[in-house]
Formats: sequence, structure tokens, C-alpha cells
Amino acid sequence: MYAYDTFDHAMVNARVAEFRDQVERRMNGELTEEEFRPLRLMNGLYLQLHAYMLRVAIPYGTLSADQMRKLAHIARKYDKGYGHFTTRQNIQYNWPKLSETPDILQELADVEMHAVQTSGNCIRNVTTDQFAGATADEVADPRPYAELIRQWSSFHPEFSFLPRKFKIAITGAKEDRAAIKWHDIGLVVKENNEGEIGFEVLAGGGMGRTPVIAKTVRDFLPVQDLLSYLEAMLRVYNEQGRRDNKYKARIKILVEAMGVEEYTRQVEAEWEKIRHIPIDVPEEEIARIKAFFAPPPLAVLSNDVPSVDELASKNFIFKSWLANNTGAHKVPGYSNVTISLKPHGGIPGDASDEQMDLVADLADHYSQSEIRVSHEQNLILPHVAKKDLPELWQKLDEAGLGTPNAGLLTDIIACPGLDYCSLANTRSIPIAQMITERFDDMKRLMDIGPLKIKISGCINSCGHHHAGHIGILGVDRRGAENYQILLGGSGAEDASKAAILGPGFDENGIVDAVEKVVAVYLGEREEGEEFLAAYRRLGPDTFKEAVYGAH
Amino acid sequence: MALINLTGIQPTDYEVLGEDASPSEGATVAVPLKRLLEVEDAFFATAGSIGAIIDTETSYDALAAISDKIAFAVIEFPAFGDGRGFSLAVRLRKDYAFKGEIRAVGPVIPDQALFLLRAGFDTVEAVDDRKEAFEAALERFPAFYQTDFGGQVSVAHARHSGEGQRKAS
Repeated sequence: MYAYDTFDHAMVNARVAEFRDQVERRMNGELTEEEFRPLRLMNGLYLQLHAYMLRVAIPYGTLSADQMRKLAHIARKYDKGYGHFTTRQNIQYNWPKLSETPDILQELADVEMHAVQTSGNCIRNVTTDQFAGATADEVADPRPYAELIRQWSSFHPEFSFLPRKFKIAITGAKEDRAAIKWHDIGLVVKENNEGEIGFEVLAGGGMGRTPVIAKTVRDFLPVQDLLSYLEAMLRVYNEQGRRDNKYKARIKILVEAMGVEEYTRQVEAEWEKIRHIPIDVPEEEIARIKAFFAPPPLAVLSNDVPSVDELASKNFIFKSWLANNTGAHKVPGYSNVTISLKPHGGIPGDASDEQMDLVADLADHYSQSEIRVSHEQNLILPHVAKKDLPELWQKLDEAGLGTPNAGLLTDIIACPGLDYCSLANTRSIPIAQMITERFDDMKRLMDIGPLKIKISGCINSCGHHHAGHIGILGVDRRGAENYQILLGGSGAEDASKAAILGPGFDENGIVDAVEKVVAVYLGEREEGEEFLAAYRRLGPDTFKEAVYGAH
Repeated sequence: MALINLTGIQPTDYEVLGEDASPSEGATVAVPLKRLLEVEDAFFATAGSIGAIIDTETSYDALAAISDKIAFAVIEFPAFGDGRGFSLAVRLRKDYAFKGEIRAVGPVIPDQALFLLRAGFDTVEAVDDRKEAFEAALERFPAFYQTDFGGQVSVAHARHSGEGQRKAS
């Protein structure tokens, strides 16, 4: 993991002092609410329906056990004993007091964490593959580059007042688990024919009311040119992105309006002018950051572990957990374990302080003190020896963290919705709860197989419904909560936009609709065909008929 | 209004030229950039010193025609959140090697003091009671992650130079 040096410490501490001063000036009236708003947002502090919400950055979703303990401590001391892990690999606290937020930030700074740029019209926390540095299907660990971008984008003098928020995602794996094509900028680590590492660069993806899948701007960008190229991309956007309408202010609208060829031409022209000035960092700096992400020293072990097979043959739940919640590691004999924060009937992404403390202890014991957060709102223990899996599963299960549903229908992404959010039209969490209760049967879920449901309580799409195999969008219909169903989206390397199937439903109706869609799939699927593939083969009509046909 | 001096430059004492007025002999005047693009060379010859008033709708291409004819630039922020003002200053310094004073006018706030300095601004026009807050904000950060136009070298470079290693130890 990256460790701060004196520079990093000094800057984060300075930011805490600055924010403390901003809060004081707001409280004594020196700053108007209008002036304070972007300042608090740039430090992750929102005003929601009932209270302030503090969004804490977990850069590229990587945490140490000690950092997780601090998150638990903050949940206990300053909040109501829980936190909410988000689709941007961050954590949100829903009940902090404004006057206490500077103290929370100081506690975070003590463990090399912050809330810098987790909101506001600036470059947000860079997200990545939750299995980065540990997965078998990876060209290179993307996290050193994410850290490079974190530093370059922090307190950027030119890009702190962009037309709109700006999200960058990076992956180093063939399978895209970071939804990079749905980001303002997506980066794919790749190797060219000469064996050099670089990036495919994409731009202009985004959700919201105008879903757009990012387009390729450059096939191969050498590593040493990363920051100057990003600077050129941001400058063209900062200058020409629309500022007259916040719904048309994201880079996706600019790239659509000028065309990706023209955007690329302008970026390349600007890049040619700036690549000789010291924006890019010295090679020694890249090497310095990379060293922090050196793979842990794992002794190669056997992939055949009789104790694991034995428990799996006797216990269906463990067998399911093994199939869904563990994945191939780079090193033989190890797994990456997904801890589901989606208990059936529970709130997607929530974890209590006790659960966070337990995960920290388990990380110390089983996963080199490392923890990851996925954009699907789960936690990951990387580098777990296969022989430890039965014991680890038992400990997780006892704490309500053993739900074996990673990647299945009940592993739902849901936005906070009307339970917390002032922008929402509808509630999202209760819909997720109703669906997971309806499908609370592991045999049935295993039979259905991989299926991603994503729920947003308004068109802003924080619940990624555009990218759901089944997407659910909450809308206000003459004052009543109404839920539309969308099918066929994907956030993976085969990214696609989900399409609305037909008129919306009330909360019971939407759960029935999901069940009917699943029934069509089960009836029509070919041998080994997953839901998304079946939908793409069948098209919407078969599903439409089942959902709307016979009333 | 108070003038905040970010860089220690000798600030320009100018008047904003009336809409249809001509500059008097040797005067120091600020003129909207759009007008400067249309006037004859004699206009520049008469005045002692001319500055361009640049609004944030200005495309950086438009700076090319006037950057070597003006002595100073006044960038107008219509709102403090309009970040185009920062890029305009960067363009003047970077693309046109502009050495004159760049001033920010409009509702910029003290918390932007370092961003302004680092994007290439020299001075800021602010309401009187905010002078202290601006000056305090300038002292806020001990180091920076980007090399900038205020003369700061990025931490990434400082870490690997003799000076940076001393600072970090």
C-alpha cells in the first residue's frame, strides 16, 4: 500500500486546518452558505434530507486494517454506529455534526486518509478494479497510476472549478470490474508490441439523464506521458464544457457535441505543446510509487486443498460462497475473497462498526492486513490462502458477513434514495430489500446464476441502473413513487446501455416484474447461457410480453 | 475594494476606458478584449499602456492576437465557480509567455487565493473586509502536487531533487 511521506502528511494536515477555518468562518457568518457550499463539497460534506453527510475517500478502494479500524471508530464516535460503502469505493457517514467534521478529518489524516475532492466540480477519487494487484487476469497493477493521478489531481490550481464533477477509472485486467467505459475518463493498462506498459485512453462516458458509453481517444499512451495527457484532456474540457446547464455540463456532452475526432484533435494538439514542460513526473517518482504496491511475499501453495473440498461437499452454503465469493489469485494456492455487504433483507453497502472491526481483524489474520472496497459495494480480502477459506467463511458467517451471493441477483447496487438523499424521487433501499427477500433461496439464486440488478432513486443514476442487467429507475408519477424496469445494460468490458421495457410499477409491482423477467430467462435460456447473453439473443419483446402481456 | 497582491508585482494603476472613448496620450487603460481585436495600431500607439479585459467566454485563440500588444490583463470572473478564468491565465503564461500583470476581478473568494497565484495571477480585486482572509489563505499549504505558474515545483519533482529531500527529512 502507498504510505505518506512528510509532503503528503503536510498537505492533508493543511487541508484539515483549512477546512476547520472554513467551518468556523461559515458558523460565524464570514462565509455565506453559497460560498461555503462548494468548499464543503470539495471536502465531501453534503447537506442531505435530514443531516450532513460526509463522504470519505478510499483512494482506488484500497484500505489497511488500521484504516478500517479508524472507519469503525468514526462510525461509533461521530455517527450512529454504521457507515455506507459506495459505488465509488468510498464510505459515507450519514449523521455527522457540522461542528465535528474537522475532528473527523483530523482522525482520518492520522491514518493517511482524507475526504479531499469526494464531491464538487473537481476531479474525484480515482476508482479501479477491486482485485488490482491480486487477480490472475491482469496486465499490471493499476494502483500506482491511480495514486499518481490522485496526487496530480489533488488541489489542482486550474481544475478545481470544472463545469461539473469529473470521474476517472482505471483497470489493468481483461475483465473490466471498474466500469471504465461509464466514466468521464477511462484508462486500460495495456502492453504494446514492444512490451512497454501504457494506457488505452477513453473519454466521454457517463450515466445521469444522458447515458453515454466512453469512446477511445488514444490506443496507446506511454506511462510517462499520463499526466500531461490528462492535463490536456481536462484543459479542453474546462475551457469548452458547457456551464449554462448543469445537466449538459459533463464531458460526455462536449465529446458528443464536438465529436470524438475533434475532441481528440484538440487534446493531441494541446498535449504536443505541454509534454515538454514538467507536468509528468520523473521516472524515479513512478518507481517510488510502484514500490509501495509490490506484490506481498506469498509462498506458492497447492490449489488442491482437501479440507475445502470436503466442507464444500457437505455444506451447500459454503459451496455457493466458494463459487461466488472467491476468485482466482495471481499466486497458486490463494484466493481473493468477496465479503458480501448484501445480506438478504439488508441495506446494500452498509456495515456496522463491529463488522468493520471484525473485517480489520480478519485482514490482519488472513489477507496481509489489506482490504478492498468494490464499486459493487462489497468488501474484499485479497491474498487469502485457500486452506484458510473454511475458517474465514465460518467467522464471516457468524457476523452476518457470509452471504454467498457475490455477482448473483441479490448482490444489488442501490443508491441511498429517498431515505437519505434530497435529490431522490423514490426510495431505493426498500426495493432492494424486497427483492432480496423475495429471492431469499440460495438454490434458486445459484440456478439463476450471474445477474446484476442496479437501482437508482432518480435519473441522476447513482445506482447505475443504465448499466444493470436489470436496471430499476425510480420516478415521481403524480406524487407517487413509480419504478421503471430496464433490461440489457452492462458495466463490464462489453458495456451497454439498458433499455426501458415499458411503463413503471409501484413497489410491489416492480418486484413481480423482476420475477417475471427472471422466469422468462429460466424458460428460454440455452445450456450455460447467462442472463445478459440470453437477453441479447432474445431481445426485449419476449420479456415485454411476459411482464405486460397477461393482466 | 482592496487590492490583494499575490506575487509582489508592482500593481498597475489603470482606468477602464469608456465604451467609445479613445485613450489619451500616455494613459494606462483597460479595454475589453473584443474592442482590442478591432482597433487600429494607432490606438495602441497613443496610450502609454493598455490592458485587456478578458471575460470567461473568451476563447484562448483570441488571446493570440493581443498577447504581445498588451501590458496587463484583467480576467473577469462572473462567478467564483467559473473555472475558465484559471485556464485563461494559464494560457497567457504558457502559450504566449505573457510576463505582464494578470489581475482577477469579480466575486473570487479567499479560499481560491493559492489557486489564483498558482494559475498565474498576480493580483486580485477583493472587497475590503476580505483582505486578511486572502492573505491568510496564501499561507495555507506548505507544498503542492503540481508544478505551477507561481514558481512552485511539484512534490513529485521535489522528492527527487536535493532540495526536496532536505525538506522531506
